[in-house]
Amino acid sequence: MLSVVSLVFWLAVIPFCIGLIPAAFISSEKRSLGFVLLAGYFGMWALFELAAVPAVLWVEYRNFRVASAVFTVLSLFGAAVGICLLYRNARAGKPGLIAGSGLWRGAGKKNDTIVTMDGGLKARVAALTKRLPAGESAFWILFFVLLGFQLYKAVAFASFDGDDAYYVVESLIAQEADVMYRILPLTGGSTGLDVRHAMAVFPMWVAFVSVRAGVHATIVSHVVMPVVLIPLTYLLYHEIGRILFGRTGENLPVFMIIMALFQIFGNVSLYTNETFFLTRTWQGKAVAGSLVIPALLWVFLQMYDKGVRKGRTDVGVWMLLVSVNMTAGVCSSIAVFLVCLLTAVTAFCLAVAERDWKVLFKVGAACTPSVVYMAVYVIMAYGYLL
Amino acid sequence: MWGIFLESVVIFKNYMGYHQNHFLAGIYLFVLLYLWLTEKDKRRRILFVYAPTLLLFLFFCPLFRKVFVRLMEDSETYYRILWLLQMSVVSAYGLIRMMGKHRRIGLAVVCLMIAACGNYVYDSEHISRAENAYHLPQDAVDIVDMIKPEEGRITVLVPADLIYYVRQYSTDIELPYGREMLIARWDYYNAMYEAMEKAEVIDTPAFVELTREYPCAYVVLKKDREIGEPLTDYGFSVYGEVGEFVVYKDMTL
Repeated sequence: MLSVVSLVFWLAVIPFCIGLIPAAFISSEKRSLGFVLLAGYFGMWALFELAAVPAVLWVEYRNFRVASAVFTVLSLFGAAVGICLLYRNARAGKPGLIAGSGLWRGAGKKNDTIVTMDGGLKARVAALTKRLPAGESAFWILFFVLLGFQLYKAVAFASFDGDDAYYVVESLIAQEADVMYRILPLTGGSTGLDVRHAMAVFPMWVAFVSVRAGVHATIVSHVVMPVVLIPLTYLLYHEIGRILFGRTGENLPVFMIIMALFQIFGNVSLYTNETFFLTRTWQGKAVAGSLVIPALLWVFLQMYDKGVRKGRTDVGVWMLLVSVNMTAGVCSSIAVFLVCLLTAVTAFCLAVAERDWKVLFKVGAACTPSVVYMAVYVIMAYGYLL
Repeated sequence: MWGIFLESVVIFKNYMGYHQNHFLAGIYLFVLLYLWLTEKDKRRRILFVYAPTLLLFLFFCPLFRKVFVRLMEDSETYYRILWLLQMSVVSAYGLIRMMGKHRRIGLAVVCLMIAACGNYVYDSEHISRAENAYHLPQDAVDIVDMIKPEEGRITVLVPADLIYYVRQYSTDIELPYGREMLIARWDYYNAMYEAMEKAEVIDTPAFVELTREYPCAYVVLKKDREIGEPLTDYGFSVYGEVGEFVVYKDMTL
């Protein structure tokens, strides 16, 4: 029971509270529960990178314990800041911090202040059901059946992947020996730092969750992570669909159904991000392909999509872009390159199409963490040549 | 340069599964063309048309591939550039635009198209019903439970079938060699691995000498593994049996 409470705390409460920070700095029409939770996860992973990468590189003994302690302080502080912002906005009577406008709003008089829950949950559910026509409901039911099917398969079926002998064992070593990347996972011998893998600390975050929950890291990897990351990924697709098709209408659930089918039938080879998503959900590279890269698309849609942009991009969206960039480094070293490449290509296309060359500098500045990451990588990997 | 371009073509075809008659990429390319012709919103054109097209161009550009391989020191992961296309998001967006108001029939057709052109992920030979909460073979769990030391670590020699799993259950078990020996293209050499897996019949004296170099506290063999002379003649005793495996303990240690 304590394990479940701990898992809920570290996998739902903490990211949600951290997500309240960027949500406080975006316009109300962009706010949603999905935005808060997703932004919170990316923010939390960014904080984990700040805590874990220096510990991996420069702390020799019990580096996992050091990283865990620093991350605990950072994440609790981030969550506290988020709650303070929520409280401050509620007191100031500003529009809801969690959900600005749209479907998930009640029918109460003060339904623009959802943060205070005026109008009540009952009113909100009533408003939601009233707005869902029969056809739309059927589409949503179909989508949730597909999602439930994927979750059932993730829990009841085991997916073999050889890389688990590296990544999952790294998590377990951290949990059992308090050490990050100083023991060879394949055999157990001691080893020098393999910078390419060591800077991608996603397995260490899995280990952190395992330690806090007191659950074996292999169970957390193979069971808990899919149960969390699969719905989280669909939440991201929902947010993308919401921008593309609006909050209501049949297009959004149809989009979600097509996305779910692409994942289920996307195993055209071992290499597609859809295959990674459902067969090795718990590995950083799968998170990079299915969550981080689409998140970049989501950020760009928020920055520049028609009808949403009002002159300036919200600070909260820039915060999100920085967090997504940092999360790429948590997932894999190559993901940093991929995210920078996609950012550069999209920013270049935007600059040419909009005749707005400033965008290159703004987006480039948001990629600073990735540039620092790559610089540290190069120095650590090739420092001996200097 | 032409050779590098052709390599990129092969990577693209392998990624998309053309050789296995999967054509999800066909849907994507068709949608991309459709969006080229019909998408009016300038910013969405940038995200769903221009950027993917430029990325495809870069993917096939030999110079770009050379830079990638030099930077990453890795040519095996070049296919991940294709992750940036976000085929499913772009395809779903374009397909819904194509459907217009005919969503029900449109969705039915799209479902059939995706099922016909794709490959059902749960048909994979790598997916099987979980035997326990760890999602590891129960035999691996039972063997480790049998031999796991109360404190400290021990080295154990296990057959290739168990190498991936043993340390996912307990890192108190160390191995003389790991997964790196099972991947032929990595081309590693390990005398213990050669004696354990490559020899048609295990040469017991040489094999035992190698196990004691590590030293391996336990040796796990498949019941049907051919062995010159029984290990019990060389100071080992049968410690237990789990499924198709026999666990030997080195009594000299």
